[in-house]
Order: sequence, then C-alpha cells, then structure tokens
Amino acid sequence: MKVLDRKLVRELRSSSFLLLAVGSIMAIGVSAYAALGSAYRNLMTAQRLYYADCRMADFTVDLKKAPLADVTAVGALPGVVEIRPRIQFLATVDLENVLEPINGIVISMPNERRTVINDVVLRQGGYFTDRRDNEVILNDAFARANKVYPGMWIHLLLNNRRQELFVVGTAISSEFTYLVGPGSMVPDAKRLGVFYIKQTFAEEVFDMQGACNQVVGRLAPQVRERPDDVLRRAERLLDSYGVLNTVPLRDQPSNRFLSNEIMGLRAFGIINPAIFLAVAALVLNVLMSRLAEQQRVVVGTFKALGYSNAAIFWHFLKFGLAVGAMSGLGGCLLGYWLAGGMTAMYDTFFEFPSLENRFYADITTQALCIGLACGMLGSYHGARQVLKLEPAVAMRPKPPAVGGAIWLERIPSLWNRLTFPARMALRNVLRSRLRTAAGIFAAAMGATLSVDALLLAFETNYMVDFQFELIQRSDIDLTFKDEQGRDAWDEAARLPCVDRAEPLFDVSCTFSNGSHTRKGAITGVLPDAKLMIPRDTEARPLRIPESGLLLTKKMAQILHVEAGDVVEIRPTKGLRETHRVRVAEIADSFLGIGVYADIHFLSRLMNEEFAVTGVQLQVRPGDEQRHALYREIKQLPAVQGVSARADIVRNVKETLVKNQHVFIGLLVMFAGVIFFGSVLNSSLVSLQERQREVATLRVLGYGPWQIGNLFLRESVLVNGVGTLLGLPLGYLLNYGIVVAYDTEMFRIPLINPTQVWLIVIVLGTLFGCAAHLVVQRSIHKMDWLDALKTRE
Amino acid sequence: MTLPANQPPPPGVLLRLTDVGKTYHMGEVDVQVLREVTLNIYDHQVLAILGPSGSGKSTLLNIIGGLDSSSHGSVWYRDREMTRFSPRELTVYRREVVGFVFQFYNLVPNLTARENVMVSTEISRNPLDVDEALDLVGLKERADHFPSQMSGGEQQRVAIARALAKNPELLLCDEPTGALDYATGKRVLRLLVDACRKLGKTVVIITHNAAIAQVADHVIRLRSGEIVEVHDNPEPAPPEEITW
Ligand SMILES: Nc1ncnc2c1ncn2[C@@H]1O[C@H](COP(=O)(O)OP(=O)(O)O)[C@@H](O)[C@H]1O
Ligand SMILES: [Mg+2]
Repeated sequence: MKVLDRKLVRELRSSSFLLLAVGSIMAIGVSAYAALGSAYRNLMTAQRLYYADCRMADFTVDLKKAPLADVTAVGALPGVVEIRPRIQFLATVDLENVLEPINGIVISMPNERRTVINDVVLRQGGYFTDRRDNEVILNDAFARANKVYPGMWIHLLLNNRRQELFVVGTAISSEFTYLVGPGSMVPDAKRLGVFYIKQTFAEEVFDMQGACNQVVGRLAPQVRERPDDVLRRAERLLDSYGVLNTVPLRDQPSNRFLSNEIMGLRAFGIINPAIFLAVAALVLNVLMSRLAEQQRVVVGTFKALGYSNAAIFWHFLKFGLAVGAMSGLGGCLLGYWLAGGMTAMYDTFFEFPSLENRFYADITTQALCIGLACGMLGSYHGARQVLKLEPAVAMRPKPPAVGGAIWLERIPSLWNRLTFPARMALRNVLRSRLRTAAGIFAAAMGATLSVDALLLAFETNYMVDFQFELIQRSDIDLTFKDEQGRDAWDEAARLPCVDRAEPLFDVSCTFSNGSHTRKGAITGVLPDAKLMIPRDTEARPLRIPESGLLLTKKMAQILHVEAGDVVEIRPTKGLRETHRVRVAEIADSFLGIGVYADIHFLSRLMNEEFAVTGVQLQVRPGDEQRHALYREIKQLPAVQGVSARADIVRNVKETLVKNQHVFIGLLVMFAGVIFFGSVLNSSLVSLQERQREVATLRVLGYGPWQIGNLFLRESVLVNGVGTLLGLPLGYLLNYGIVVAYDTEMFRIPLINPTQVWLIVIVLGTLFGCAAHLVVQRSIHKMDWLDALKTRE
Repeated sequence: MTLPANQPPPPGVLLRLTDVGKTYHMGEVDVQVLREVTLNIYDHQVLAILGPSGSGKSTLLNIIGGLDSSSHGSVWYRDREMTRFSPRELTVYRREVVGFVFQFYNLVPNLTARENVMVSTEISRNPLDVDEALDLVGLKERADHFPSQMSGGEQQRVAIARALAKNPELLLCDEPTGALDYATGKRVLRLLVDACRKLGKTVVIITHNAAIAQVADHVIRLRSGEIVEVHDNPEPAPPEEITW
C-alpha cells in the first residue's frame, strides 16, 4: 500500500466516532435509496409478471344483464383487443363454525381450463372437474384464513337460494391483489372471499343463460394509457343493457391501491435519500474542512517534497471516498435488509404468486455510486482548500484567528444581559459559520422528517376515527340486492337485539351540468339519522336538505355548480330517466365525491313511495345477542352484503397500528441518527479545533463537566434552532403530501396536533444529549497537557 | 562581478539569483521583504544564510526551493530559468532537485519514521533505499517508531533522512537546529555537513546563529531583505568544534 494510503487508513481509524456520525447518516441515505428502490422494483416486477400471467383486464364494464351475442360488438371496437363476458355477483357465505356473516364475490369461470382475461393462478387443489356442476375455487387467502381446503363443502347464498358447493381448489388472481371489501381500507381475508364457479352453473343459478353482467377486456397498447374514448364508445354500445359502471384499470380498486403504493415508493425513494445525503454531505464537509485546516503543515510539507497538487487533492478526496464507500456498502446491506422487511410487509397486504426481495445489481451499483458521490461532494470543499494553500504560506504558523466582535455584540442591551458562558457559546456558534449552518440544516432536516412522518401517522388515525367514530356509527350494515320497500326496513328493525335500524337509499347515477358529467351515487339518508352522519371537514354534521341535493365540494367543482344551480341526474339502474334536481347545499368533506339527499325526497324523485338499498343497525352489546342476530341475517335472502363495523374498525386499526409502529420506529431511528450524528460531528470537530482553549481552561481550573457545558450550550443552540426551523418545514412537506394525495376518492385531513411538535422537540433534544455524552467522554479522556505542548 | 541575468550560469553554479526581490501586499501597504538579492549557489558546497529573525531568510529559501515565487529578478537553475517555470515544472523541480529540512521537522504524525521517509522515496525517480537513508542518520533501529515516540533531535534526523532519501542535488535547511538543544543540534549539523562532503550535495543552511555559519564554505548575511555581507570560509570548522 502506498504510504499516503497508510496515513489515510490511520486517520480513518483514529476518527472512528466522527466517521460513525457522518457515515451512519450517509449509510441511511444510501440504504433508503436501495431499500425504496428495491421495494419499488420488487412490487413493480411482481405486478407486471402477475398482470401478464393473469392477463389483467384493462377495463371492466358492469351491466345489469346483456346477451352474450350483443356484447361481442365491444370486442370489435378499435383499440379493444379482446373481451370476456362474465357473471359476477355479491353473495353472503355461510361457513360452519363461523358465526359472523361473510361476504363473497362470486365470479364465473370457463368450465374447462383455458387462458382467459383476469385468469386465476391455482394454489391448492385443481381446476373444475366434470364430476359436478357445483364446484368452487376459493381465493387462497380466504381459504387459509378460514381453514377451508379442497375436498370440503361450503354454502353460499346465491340468488336467494342456499347452494352447496364442493371446493376443488384455491387460487389467486391479479384483479384481487389487494382485496378490500366495501367500507374498509385494509384486506380482511376472514370476512371477504372470492368464489369462482363454473360458467354453466353461474348461468343457471343467476338466471343468466346466454347472458352476462360484466365485461372485462384488454386494450391495444396504444390506447392503454388513455382508455377513456374507447370506454365511452363501449358504454354507448352497451347502454341499452344498463351500464352500471365502467372502470378503467387505473380506477380498478386493487390496482389503484397497488399502483399508489408503487408510485409512493418512487417519490419517497427520491425525496428521503436526497434529504439524508444532503445532510451527510454537509456534515462531511465540516469534518473535511477541519481536517484540511488541521493538516496545513502536512500539506505544505508534501508540496515542498514535490507532491503535485493533483496527488494531494486526490489524497484528501480519498478520505471522503473512503467514507462514501464504507457508508455505501453498509447502506446497501442495510437497504437490502430493509427492502426485505418492506417486501415481507407488502406480502401480507398484497397477494402475489410470489413477492420476493431480489438483489438488484444496478440499484446496488447506483447506491454505491451515490455513496461515493456523496463522499466526494462532502470532501470536495475541504480538498479544494488544500489545493489553494500556498506551500510557503502553509509552512508558516497560522496567524491567530480573527476574533472580531460578532454582530450581536453591537446590541449591548441584549449582549450585556447574557451570561459569560452564553456569550462564549454565541461567539463560537456565530464564528464557525459552515459548522453552524451544517448543524442547523441537519437538525432542521431531522425535525422535518419526524414532523412529516408523525403528522401522517396522526392524520391516518384521525381519518380512521373520523370515519368510524363520527360518520359511521352503526354496528352492522346490511346491503340489499335490489331496491326494497319500507318493509325491508321494518323487517331489519325487527331482527333480534336490534335497538335501532336506519334505512339508506343509494342511487348510482350520472350527474351532468352541461358538458360536465360525472358518474357517482346519491346517498339518501334519514334527515335525523344517528347511525350514519355525513360530516364536513370541521366534523359538523351536514344538514340534509328537505329537497334538493347536498354536494361535496369536490363534486361541485367537477360539475361546476354552485348552491342553487340545477344538475341533471340519470340513474344507471331502473327506468334511467333523466331528472333535473336543485343543488341545495355544498359542503366540504374528506371523503370523495359524495352526494346526499333526504331519503324521502330521493324516493319520490325515483317515483317510489319509499325505497331502501341498505339498512344500518345498532345492536345490543353481547356476543350471545349478536350470534342470534347473525343467524337470522344469514337466512335473509335479500341481503347481499353484511359488514360489521366493529370488525372493520378493529382490523383497520390493528393493521394500521402494526405498520405505524414499524414506520415510526424506523423514523425515530433515522431522524435520531441525523440529530445524533450532526451534533456529535460538530462538537467533536469543535473540540479538536479548540484543544488549546480547552487545555487553557483546564489550567485555569475548569473541570471537564464545566467545559462540557460550554460545548453543550453550543449544541443545544444549534440543534434547537435547527429543530425549531424543521417544525414548520415538516408541516410544509406534510402539506405538500396532503395536496399530492388529494384525490377524488379521499383527502388526508390536515391536522395540527401539539403532541407532534413536542415529540419532535423531545426527540431532537434526547438524541442531541446522547451525542453530547460521547463528546463529554472525549473531554474527560482528552490529554490536555499534551495539547498545551503541541504546536498548532 | 556582474552577472548577465538573461543567460544561464556557468558550469559549477547550481543556482543563480539575480536582482531577486519579493514584495507582499498587505492591504494598502507594500512590504518589501527581499530586495536586489544577487547570489550564486555552487555545486557541492555548504552555504549559510545568516540573519536576524524577520530578515527574509525563509522567504529567500522558499524562492530557491520553488515553494514561493519572486516578485522581481530572475532565478536560474543550471540552464533553466526557474522564474519561468509553470506550477507543474516547479513541482517536478521540488521533487527531483530539492530536499527540505524544516525547523519543526514537519513529520507526518501518524506515519512511522520509515513511512515518513517513504513519503519522499515514493515520488522520486532515483531514491535511496529507505533503510539506507535511515542508516545514514543513525536511526535504523527506530524505523518503526512514530514521531511522537521520538525526541526532537531524532525527529529532525528522520526529516534529514527523508530529504536525503530522494537523492536530491540540493538540501535546503530552514533553521534545522532552531528547535534543538546544543548537543543534538551539533549532531544534526554534522549530518548536514556530511551530506555535502560525503554525498556531494549542495547544502543551504539558514540560521540566525553566527556560530553555526562557521561550518559553511560560503556565508551571506541578510538584513531587512538585503545582502549586507558575503564571505568565504576557506577552512570551514567541523561542527564538533564550534560553540554557541
Ligand atoms: N505572506 C506574507 N505576507 C506578508 N508578510 C510576510 C509574509 N510572509 C512573510 N512576511 C514577512 O516577511 C518578513 C520576512 O519573513 P521571513 O522570510 O520569514 O524572515 P526570517 O525567516 O528571516 O525570520 C517578515 O517581516 C514577515 O513578517
Ligand atoms: Mg524563518
């Protein structure tokens, strides 16, 4: 090894704490890049392969009922490559030894195995046989969660008839990669299953001979990105069969969840590493500038001996490169591990044939290069200083540092009030500008990240509580297959142990105002409803007008209407007559593009005396009672779906809390590394720089703790200012994210909880103090007599 | 004797300075540190530059060593005009021609004695063997010691070994004994004189101590940046015999 490299290695070894401080920040930046990049690639790859395997549909059209012969025209539309008509219904499922009602999505599949759009990937057992008509393939997660295996019989309530089905196999399909039931946000494999049945059997039990109620199709690559035109034409073509809904792939619920997650990974995969690496580069700069300063004489000697500028520059740059290389390697390892953790977590939400954490040579190479680049960037300034040093000047003792007054001293009224140690701290902080700037920036970024992540966690919790404590207050929700009359409500009210029953009337329709149109639904509620209370963003209950519609702000914006205007609505079911309705009120809401109306008004509008599509129940507490109720509900033929709010809330919260713990744990660690690393680096550098000052103080009789205090003051000042700056920055970043995620479906509430600010301040202080303990130890161990003897 | 400044010096002259001046600009004022220094440095001789502190000795040495540039006049190294050297050529000059010995040794603290010597052998074209160089200064046994484990005299000897190991023509020593005690200082002087007498180097020693100048073949005296006296020692004293 070259002798200069030996010098380098020894220097690296002797400044291990400093390197640890810088290196860990850098390593986290690199690992964030590698982890988020790999997780992104893992999900991306899994999605692409899975979609290709299953021939994932590019669009879905839901119909009331259409003859097979007539839907083939859709397949002939330009841009449409291939279609598949199928039958899909919702059903309730009755499993032995499961009391709670279970919802099922029933889908028809060809009797014989062949490749189709939205195909399945078999996991256990096999495909349909020709031994029975009533065979079923379950989605794998449901089978596992409920311990149903091939060879068992299960019961489904199909089209008001209880059907016995023989389980031949379990399967997964890309259209249900993220399977969530209505009203939930996280999958619940126990309560929601997908049931694939034979085409002929489906036709028979649903009275769909030669017909279908859903068309799934694939588009040519050219139109895949902008499918709206083709879909409009398909809709027009099928209009007479009652198009309920047309969903392009981007709006398909499972795909949207998955794709949002992937896009989020990509965005965070750039922002997060960038923050860490910027901090690391700056902190390294402080260290390198100090090193360059400290080695003036050595550098002068090298120059005198005939070393070229390039050789010396390179020597110093290598210091940064070494830090970069070590952090890069560590970061890649950590990143691979983190990516594994993230991927394993995703594997619990998303159901893929295989979701593996792969090793990506290119991402790893990039991550390593980023580490090296960051190291180089961080040492560039210091190495440049070395270059500029004139050898003749370098050899002369450095003139004493300019100890001029700082600007604060020009405000005597303030300055004179400060204690002596405070003045010393202020002087040092204001004089070493680069170090102070780096410290403030690092603390600010640490605080920004923590604030942002904590706010997101608080906001998610707020949203869940808002939705499930304030808006939805029923215990059990029933949805009916078709519109029912008042008697369905009465019947539900008479179910055992029901304290209160409230009707809901959902009307899917197309809203239009001139050229502005939008598909959506009107929810008819009782004006004095207690179990479902739509609320605005201030949590005030929305006032349901006696006549006319209440539009959420977003819907009003889409339709370009104001209160008092008239919109046209055309229901997608029933007679599908166009009605003109007044917009009575507009309210701001977190949830999507909702439209509300008084159930009586809406019924009249639909030419009904009183119509319901669902009933919400408040049930007396107690397992006994609930089980009795469940038994009854399972017998109700008109019921298409049952959701137990308590179950959903529990499931959502458990999942969220579990993930938040991991998320917040990581965040605390990461932000902590920034706080810790930057305080440690800046204090140790400052300590090195002021060895003589410290020695002199020791001679004067200062103890190590008193000296430590001087340094602590500076750290607290810099770290504190940075943290305080980071609070509003974090809020801004959070605001940006909230705006970015402001979709039609929902909006993240912007909240401002005091705890977040306090937690972040405590975090910054704790980690800063922890770093100071290391500094204190160095002060205790410092050989100050030696420092007095050495020549600067 | 008038020397033509625009022509190379005759053989036997290693360096020729003609009318060299150095001015520092300190804000508004110009400080003239060297003026009209004209001087020949001959091969295989010991030259002492004597002068009080602040008289410009180090500045002159730095110009000779290619560490600093003159503001005026010309410097010839054999048949090449140094004052026209590019920074690159200056680096090569320092690497190939000059060996420096400093008052405070300037060893790299985290390298051993041997490694400190290697710092110069690694870049020179025709170096001595590292151990041979250490042997020359009598420190073969201390080769693996770090500077902090050695006395000032030993450190200075390592520095001399480092300078010699490059096998330079010219050894430039800025107050080489300035930080050393009497006996150690003499020992170091002996090494420098031997470098000239036995190894044939040209040695320039800067000192503010007139006694030390007795070991030199030539002595020039500087005061306030000007040469005030030049004299030859036909019989230089051996270092062991001088006292201060
Ligand atoms: N970079 C500089 N800027 C201004 N003045 C300088 C500089 N370097 C040296 N000097 C001045 O030049 C004079 C000569 O310095 P120096 O050559 O070191 O003298 P000596 O080595 O004889 O003590 C001194 O007065 C010193 O202050
Ligand atoms: Mg001097």
